[in-house]
Amino acid sequence: MKVAASIKNFLLSLAGFAAILLIWQLGVSFTSVGNLLPSPWAVAVRFVTMCTNTVGRKYTLPMHLLVSLRRVLIGFGLSAASGIVIGIAMGRSDLIRAIVRPLFELVRPIPGVAWIPMAIVWFGIGETAKIFIIFIGGFVNIVVNTFSGSRQVDENILNAAYMLGANKVQAFFKIVIPSCVPYIFSGLQVGLSTSWMAVLAAEMVSATEGVGWIITAGQQNADMPQILAGIIAIAVTGLALASLMRLLERVLCRWRVRGS
Amino acid sequence: MSTYKKRQFRLRIVSLLSILVFLAVWYVCTAVLRLAPAYSLPDPITVFQSFVTKLSSRVPDGATLPQHIWESFKIAMAGYLMGVVIGVPLGIAMGWVSWVEKIVRPVFDFLKPIPPIALIPVMITLFGIGIESKACIIFFSTVIPSIVNSYSGIKQTSQIHLWVARTFGASNLQQLFTVAIPSALPMIFAGLRVAMGVSWMGLVAAELMGATRGIGYMISTARNLLRADIIIVGLLTLGFIGIVISLVFDLIEIKFVRGGK
Amino acid sequence: MTMEKKKTVIEVRDVSKTFYNREGDHLVVDHLNFNVYENEFVVLFGPGQCGKTTVLNLIAGLELPTGGEVVVNGEKVVGPSPSRGMVYQTTNLFMWYNVMKNVEFGPCVRGVKKAERRKKAQYYIDLVGLTGFEKHFPVKLSGGMQQRVGIARAYCNEPDIICMDEPFGHLDAQTRYLMEEEVDRISASEKRTVVFVTNNAEEAIYLADRIILLHNCPTSVHREYLVNLPRPRNYVAPEFLELREQITKDMDDTIG
Repeated sequence: MKVAASIKNFLLSLAGFAAILLIWQLGVSFTSVGNLLPSPWAVAVRFVTMCTNTVGRKYTLPMHLLVSLRRVLIGFGLSAASGIVIGIAMGRSDLIRAIVRPLFELVRPIPGVAWIPMAIVWFGIGETAKIFIIFIGGFVNIVVNTFSGSRQVDENILNAAYMLGANKVQAFFKIVIPSCVPYIFSGLQVGLSTSWMAVLAAEMVSATEGVGWIITAGQQNADMPQILAGIIAIAVTGLALASLMRLLERVLCRWRVRGS
Repeated sequence: MSTYKKRQFRLRIVSLLSILVFLAVWYVCTAVLRLAPAYSLPDPITVFQSFVTKLSSRVPDGATLPQHIWESFKIAMAGYLMGVVIGVPLGIAMGWVSWVEKIVRPVFDFLKPIPPIALIPVMITLFGIGIESKACIIFFSTVIPSIVNSYSGIKQTSQIHLWVARTFGASNLQQLFTVAIPSALPMIFAGLRVAMGVSWMGLVAAELMGATRGIGYMISTARNLLRADIIIVGLLTLGFIGIVISLVFDLIEIKFVRGGK
Repeated sequence: MTMEKKKTVIEVRDVSKTFYNREGDHLVVDHLNFNVYENEFVVLFGPGQCGKTTVLNLIAGLELPTGGEVVVNGEKVVGPSPSRGMVYQTTNLFMWYNVMKNVEFGPCVRGVKKAERRKKAQYYIDLVGLTGFEKHFPVKLSGGMQQRVGIARAYCNEPDIICMDEPFGHLDAQTRYLMEEEVDRISASEKRTVVFVTNNAEEAIYLADRIILLHNCPTSVHREYLVNLPRPRNYVAPEFLELREQITKDMDDTIG
């Protein structure tokens, strides 16, 4: 029954998807929408061409994607590692919270992309600046979530561990960390999507490769098919990253699932 | 004074010291030791002076700081309100009426994974760098989280509450307005908050890439002129506006939403 | 019972406890005195918010007294110790560990070898009747089963004293009777000193060797009762009902 329902849902959304494409195609063929947008067919053809031929000087579309992904992976990795550590430290120690929190609150409300000019002044237009921007984008979300997670560790459960003979280190790794994991994951999820946005913004402002560059280059040549093909690649990759994260979460948080 | 209060007071002092030490280290590294050139990291006093000057001076980007703020605020509000006014009712309709869900859901699933920032080139190509393209980007950034949260808020309405309403003889619409919407309110509100953050980010990105006024434009011009002091003033202004916005949201939430839960 | 010959395990000597929080200072326990003897099942009994849990936390070492001292086996309590186990009001299980890992947690953190602690944990899992559920995560168990895991976890650490803080307060009446029988059976087969907190007179009389009735906040001892009825006890025996009426009446006086 369940499988049948999910197949039905899948077919329904497939039909909806096809309907959108059809309306789009008809709109371009028979009305003046064509002056603004290329047809989905043209975009699809362009997408395939971009995968086989180089866009810009040396990379094909998949290569551009890999370049962007590499940046995200480094920046996001750094922000995840430092964000989790700082978030937990802030949550578990009154002193560290008193020291770090005012400085963090200063940075927190600044949108990640606003750091782009500053990063370029500090680090030039190379890789460092982009990784810095991605780092900031992910960092804030991860700290916020990890922090609130580690504040919500149930003191009674922690006490239960102490009562059973756990020392501080054991209690930290066996109680505090596992009970923060769901919060850390929601931070990582938001952080990853912000990082993905940040890499686009950074590449759109200054880069010679990457998917962000593809769509700005499209804009400069008024090449709408290239922009739209780029956006599709970006959306699909973003979805894939989020699903990957959700999969990881499902594996690591099995204990939260009620049903069998 | 109780022991608890004493401890809290001591921690406050530590927080204050932390900021003072941060400013002092910044000052010593820049103004005294000159570890970084002024075009890259000016000292805090220069930044403060630039802030005061920028309040009334049009140099170097053709508008004063309040004018830039007003410009950004105007566009943000226009796009944001449009997004909320369309997104929230649409999300509620999607959650409550199944044929609306069937029609809108595919379009929505199609658009949702597109980061608003990626639409900037499309909008600039279509509408140029004027107010329309930015308002569209903000609209798009706002409408998605508004729909997502209203939709799932309505979908999560407790079946028991609806049953209670039905046994009292509430009509379909009455159930929507007296049970579903109030119980979804905290979730809808959380969506509006997220939307504000995302649209603010979209606006700054749009202004960095093409504008003639606005805070994003101000910092991007300052970067070309190597005026790091103005970049920092811009960043702090954005941060300050972010704090004010979140305070406003807190106030509204306390007043209208808490009881709804 | 001949209490005089028994060894004193817990001495609560003139203990007071004040809490400091946002609202100010709050005296919860006021000059409390009582003893608990070896292998005795003592029930701390009292009305709703009378600070029973605080007394238990003081014995466990989770809280420290602001006046007086708690002495266990001749040593002053200065913090939690694996020699004192705790079963909690709400299920305080480690939700991210399965039943086996929950039960063997105590021996595990104390460095007991895997094979040995598995064997021991299996013994207690069998004892509380959860055989076959070793690999289940707590979310998938019912409230009563979760409480069984909590009991097995406390016993598996082989403490001298087991503190139970209204362990069945959140269970439905049927499960509650069942769990009371289980605790009676387990404490008969695994002799330990037990300090059990409850606000249910029936439960107190069913389980206790001795009942200590506590005053409402700030807490102090109001009266003690020795329960000399044969086990397993009959809820509707005349002696049972008589004692129950007496205790209920005395409890009303403490509130009054």
